[in-house]
Amino acid sequence: MIKIQGKDIDIEGILDSVKSPASGGVVTFLGTVRDNAKGRSVAKMSIEVYEAMAVTELEAIRSEALEKFGVHEVAVVHRYGELEVGDNIVFIAVAAGHREEAFKACKYVIDELKQRVPIWKKEMTPEGEFWVEGEKHE
Amino acid sequence: MEINIRYFGQFREFTGKREETLEVGQGITVEEIREHVRGIYPKIAAKEEVLVAVNGNFGPLDQVIEESDEVAFFPPVSGG
Repeated sequence: MIKIQGKDIDIEGILDSVKSPASGGVVTFLGTVRDNAKGRSVAKMSIEVYEAMAVTELEAIRSEALEKFGVHEVAVVHRYGELEVGDNIVFIAVAAGHREEAFKACKYVIDELKQRVPIWKKEMTPEGEFWVEGEKHE
Repeated sequence: MEINIRYFGQFREFTGKREETLEVGQGITVEEIREHVRGIYPKIAAKEEVLVAVNGNFGPLDQVIEESDEVAFFPPVSGG
């Protein structure tokens, strides 16, 4: 399951959707809005998405994770819009036969997401608004 | 020919536009359209990395852009 949405993430529902009798575990990553960045306090966050491309890239990353690590199911949900400190940003759930491949696949998905998926975050601080700098590509 | 350009993230603020139509020559490549847009917007020109997607894909710099293509400009991504 790949979703880009404004509303909060139904974590229980996603966990239920990835679990299966053949899977021995589910590894998850939940990204949330932090109240600080680079020494500044963060009050709110705004997230912008190029939705059509983001869905395509996330589908590709999901397929790669399934193939590379032999996991059973991968779900990714990312939010956009105006978020408060502590709000959920992204949730990744990976179900697999065993924990090792599930941890590896989950890390692969979040690392690739941060490199490739067209989403941008802007932090609102008392000193003003700042776009989060993405990592440079080689 | 006319091509449709979309801007995202900080580039949307730099241009003051979500999208616009630009008149360019037939056979323009990704690299050439990037230079064209850099020429219009100094703040984009000042950025070390300017990403260009054509129809939602990162293509080669020598990819030729067709009139019906959707071309998107944005800075390095920062989701997650």
